[in-house]
Amino acid sequence: MSETVKLPAKREFDFAAYVSGAAFSADGETAAFALGSGIVKLVTIADNSTREVEAHNGASLSFAPHPDGTSFVSGGDDGRLVRIGVDGSLAEIGKAQGRWIDALATHKNGGIACGIGKEIWYWAPGVAEPKKLGPHPSTVAALDFSPDGSRVAAAHYGGASIWQVRNPASAPRKMDWKGSHVAIKYSPNAKFLATTTQDNAIHVWRLANGQDMQMAGYRTKVKALAWTADTRYLLSDAADCFVCWDFSGKGPEGQPPVEYGFGDGAGMTGIVAHPDSGFVCGGFENGALRLGDMDSRRDLELRAPADTQKPIRAMAWSPDGWRIAAGAEDGYAVVFDLKNKS
Amino acid sequence: MTEQIPVTVLTGYLGAGKTTLLNRILTESHGKKYAVIINEFGEVGIDNDIVVGTDEEIFEMNNGCICCTVRGDLIRTIGGLMKRAGQFDGIIVETTGLAEPAPVAQTFFTDDEVKTKTKLDAVVTVVDAKHFPLRLEDSREAEDQVAFADVILLNKTDLVSPAELSAVERRIRDINPFARLHRTKKSEIDLSLILNKGSFDLQRILELDPHFLEDHDHHHHHDHDHDHDHHGHDHHHHGEDCHDDHCDDPTHDHSHRGHAHPRHADDIFSVATVIDGPVDPEKFRTWISGVLQTQGQNILRAKGVMSIDGAEQRFVFQAVHMLADSTWGQNWRKGEKRQSKLVFIGRKLDADALKSGFEACKAA
Repeated sequence: MSETVKLPAKREFDFAAYVSGAAFSADGETAAFALGSGIVKLVTIADNSTREVEAHNGASLSFAPHPDGTSFVSGGDDGRLVRIGVDGSLAEIGKAQGRWIDALATHKNGGIACGIGKEIWYWAPGVAEPKKLGPHPSTVAALDFSPDGSRVAAAHYGGASIWQVRNPASAPRKMDWKGSHVAIKYSPNAKFLATTTQDNAIHVWRLANGQDMQMAGYRTKVKALAWTADTRYLLSDAADCFVCWDFSGKGPEGQPPVEYGFGDGAGMTGIVAHPDSGFVCGGFENGALRLGDMDSRRDLELRAPADTQKPIRAMAWSPDGWRIAAGAEDGYAVVFDLKNKS
Repeated sequence: MTEQIPVTVLTGYLGAGKTTLLNRILTESHGKKYAVIINEFGEVGIDNDIVVGTDEEIFEMNNGCICCTVRGDLIRTIGGLMKRAGQFDGIIVETTGLAEPAPVAQTFFTDDEVKTKTKLDAVVTVVDAKHFPLRLEDSREAEDQVAFADVILLNKTDLVSPAELSAVERRIRDINPFARLHRTKKSEIDLSLILNKGSFDLQRILELDPHFLEDHDHHHHHDHDHDHDHHGHDHHHHGEDCHDDHCDDPTHDHSHRGHAHPRHADDIFSVATVIDGPVDPEKFRTWISGVLQTQGQNILRAKGVMSIDGAEQRFVFQAVHMLADSTWGQNWRKGEKRQSKLVFIGRKLDADALKSGFEACKAA
């Protein structure tokens, strides 16, 4: 960036443990960070105060906003799925002794789903006992709800499975593709389902007809996906810039992706998209954070790279789109306020 | 560069004494904390270590390499353990008795996160001295586990006669001549001999047993006729072991070398070859990638240390099936003879072709 730009205001923290998850409350007034120490840190934006909750005896492996909007859900390597309120309250949602809960998805309509071995455990709104969906061909690697919350999709070895949560006895829709699938993301318009695979590629199915496509060429494994709010672009981490597959018109088949925002060659380790505009934010292995604008294809450095910094591992955008939370392996955490310039 | 966490892989057929060894690691006071990944919840003594149970999940890679399989459960578990970095000093992976070692080793070659965050310190294989010959007859895994080992515990030595013991040791040496071998009873061993050894580390390859390659020629000329006569079909040069009667390495058994057992067509053996002087790196790369492409399925492991013109450092190479990795190792010592050595362990290897192929890589 050559011209002088005013950067968004930020508040920074050192949580002294691997930041494995980040999320906002529905009003965006509380940012929560889940840590490898099992602690969840709650940051109240209004007064910049923090409080902590000991959520797990071990590490928090998965983290998401709770459907109620005023709490968060954390899955741990102690086999517990817990709810953490913005007020610091802690309650157990479920427990699977000896299991790791590293696949988790929540939906604002009320559903909570996590992977327990080869099964999905699904909690319908207001129901204490989970329904069990599965088994899948392997351990469930990742989960995502459809935009209307009526379906939950699981990534696993050999493809993905889509379940109707209101009718869990019905057979899942199988989306087959060889290899190990590790991340999964519905497009906002519900027309596409995207996964990433162990073989450094992205796989996307058109849900209307099951037709699929493969996007390869990555040097490393893709672990994070983000769709822009209009479903025009699918973005991924794993490259050294914003890699944007264009799904307008005939789609990305046979087309190279749009690429912009090249930094210093460091690989991207996390990506999130703005909830209703064309902005995206990428985190990098050298701790850098960059904001991208899909319309102008320009980018703004929110945090400069440095050799002493560790990879960004957790990112979240507030529901209103005005705040970004990010955390790194070394415990660095930050909340940017896009409305206020520093 | 972040510090890589050492990983020790424990293998061994059912009943060999693997769990006893794991219990020793977990209960002896060595001042280290380990994260232990086990495939079966047994009677494991847990003190302040982290113990994780996983289901073995073997995933084929979708990359056109048919023998390239990885352990999906290990990728997931190691990724999760990294979130607890700082809470432990090393990772121990205990495999089931029937586990194939190749997918475990290949996981450390293929997954980016695993490669960045951890390093395979050693594959430690526990062998039951009494039952190993039987295991060889009825299971391919028992043989594979020995072939993949960097360190072998020849266990339950108190249950066999001295003659049986040397016979089983010869069988092991036929399969894997370069692993460090320790004779044990009840898996009793100084843990510093097996943990954090850097055995799999490219920097130290072939330094573990410098003899066995050095007297290669001697062995070749004096011993091989016997081999060929014994097995009419055999064009393989196996048993590249230390045949030097003056060798003072206590891990070597120098009595009655040779193959007392009938060799089957798919038995594992090794091929070792040495060039006096440097290799041409381009020639070597071209040749070895062809070898791995066409014979990778039969090559369980390959290791090499090479001299390259103009380079003060050793060029070190290793492969598991079709996957290869190379790096620069330690500097050559002053006055040291700069040889280039390469070893293959596998099945159905064409020793003559491998040797002449490597010799053709000699720098002009």
